[in-house]
Amino acid sequence: MTMEQLLSDTATALAAIRQQDLPQLQQPLDWQSKYRLLMQLGKKLPAIPEKMRQNEWLVRGCESRAWLLHYHDNTVGKHYFVLDSEARIVKGLLAIMLSFVNGLSQQELKQLDLQRAFDALNLKPYLSQSRSNGLNAMLNHIRHCLNE
Amino acid sequence: MSDFNAAAFRQHFPFFAAQPDWIYLDNAATTHKPFAVLETLDHFYRQQNSNVHRGAHKLSQMATILYEEARSCIQQYVNAAEPAEIIFTSGTTAALNQLAFGLMHTVLKPGDRILISALEHHANIVSWQLHCQRFGVILDVIPLDSQLQLDQSAFEQLLTLHPKVVSLTQVSNALGTVLPLASMLQAAKAAGAITVVDGAQGIVWDKPDLQQLAADFYCFSGHKLYGPTGIGVLYGKRALLERLTPLLGGGEMIEQVSFSHSSFNHLPARLEAGTPHIAGALGLAAAIRFISQFDVSQIKSYKRLLLKTFHDGLQHIPGIVVLSPWQDNAGIVTLNLQGEHSADVATLLNEQRIAVRAGRHCAMPLFDLMATAGAVRFAFAPYNQISEVEQCLKALTQAAEILAS
Repeated sequence: MTMEQLLSDTATALAAIRQQDLPQLQQPLDWQSKYRLLMQLGKKLPAIPEKMRQNEWLVRGCESRAWLLHYHDNTVGKHYFVLDSEARIVKGLLAIMLSFVNGLSQQELKQLDLQRAFDALNLKPYLSQSRSNGLNAMLNHIRHCLNE
Repeated sequence: MSDFNAAAFRQHFPFFAAQPDWIYLDNAATTHKPFAVLETLDHFYRQQNSNVHRGAHKLSQMATILYEEARSCIQQYVNAAEPAEIIFTSGTTAALNQLAFGLMHTVLKPGDRILISALEHHANIVSWQLHCQRFGVILDVIPLDSQLQLDQSAFEQLLTLHPKVVSLTQVSNALGTVLPLASMLQAAKAAGAITVVDGAQGIVWDKPDLQQLAADFYCFSGHKLYGPTGIGVLYGKRALLERLTPLLGGGEMIEQVSFSHSSFNHLPARLEAGTPHIAGALGLAAAIRFISQFDVSQIKSYKRLLLKTFHDGLQHIPGIVVLSPWQDNAGIVTLNLQGEHSADVATLLNEQRIAVRAGRHCAMPLFDLMATAGAVRFAFAPYNQISEVEQCLKALTQAAEILAS
């Protein structure tokens, strides 16, 4: 699996997530269905192969580990990511986050109101209680990538 | 059958009326506080508040008397030889750090060895490690056998290296394993070591008798024994406490200060720099008076009943992998669902208002040894009810179903 392939599979997955899964999340769901959906959605993202899960891309949550690969397309000034988590629910939440941030420019990312985006999906609590699930750690990592 | 009345015990804890929807099984992280402790804290700050050992005024003298009474209360509970052997700290971690620092400067010399076990909490690893390299001291670890118990023959072998210090946890915070401390400490003493016990989890499992146990030092935290956070104890035999270099300087620990030299006060003040957590000390004494009303062996058998209920229920949930031992267990069960990450299981339990902890429980080396990325920990306390265990089992079944679908 090459980085190119991962980026392309991620983009395809995120398109499907935006089209199919996010509208579903906006529907009233019981909590069991919500988690099932989150896990299905996480499964759509490609897995980062073991040999690419290196420490420099490791993002530590309190309870689980995740990995973030970054690609900056200099020609158009846009940022692309590949991510994976060893926890399935976390991966689902991270996939949603990525569906909002992937392919944005630095300026666009600064203007993004992720709280509001998560709120619209009835997922706001997951963003605020996120020390344990590592969502904030991931967001900080993404911001860090942009400033490099 | 135990005569322990769990429902009546639970009535002492206002938390459960305030959070009736929650099942709290994170007792190895911290326990709830009974009225007796809360009222002691409140009463101190409202009506007795003054600093200790300082003011010439009567209020300070009163606060000092209360603070020293708290020390005596704890001394009696753990059966220390005298109150001065009870040093107040902010908790077990602070106690272990004071101990490691204090011994490095005096007792431990380059080339000396310290022996700990593979079941230690980070506090009983890192507090030593912080100094080992600088002082040229070697840290050895008693390995686990295939049953995840400490390998006793390896322990005997490691004792032949004559460690100066043997520092062991009483109960594994990650697995609930109760160590065979009495025999291990005796063997360590026979080999000439200074013995240290991390009692953070053990203090709530068993009432220590420190003149019986071959421990030179014993550390514990108040908050795991129904007391306040921010207060704990470093117990030590007087002769050894006197050899410790103070980790913190300033305040009441001083006898004489000039800009070129300072001399230190007597025990226990010598190791209690700065204004202590006075209310916390009183609160911890209140917790100890509270728990002293109950029979330790009855509480133990009630905890075993909770464990048995949990054990039996787990048999009906497919894919459960239990890491904890069922024998000699202090009331902590750590497990995984086959093929699932512990964080996912804990998230689904949280959704059902079951408070548990997931991850590696401040025992990363242990989880590396078990080749496990983490696990979910259920830690029971005597205020937990059988019905809560049953509800927790249902929630775990539900979590397993969601993850399997």
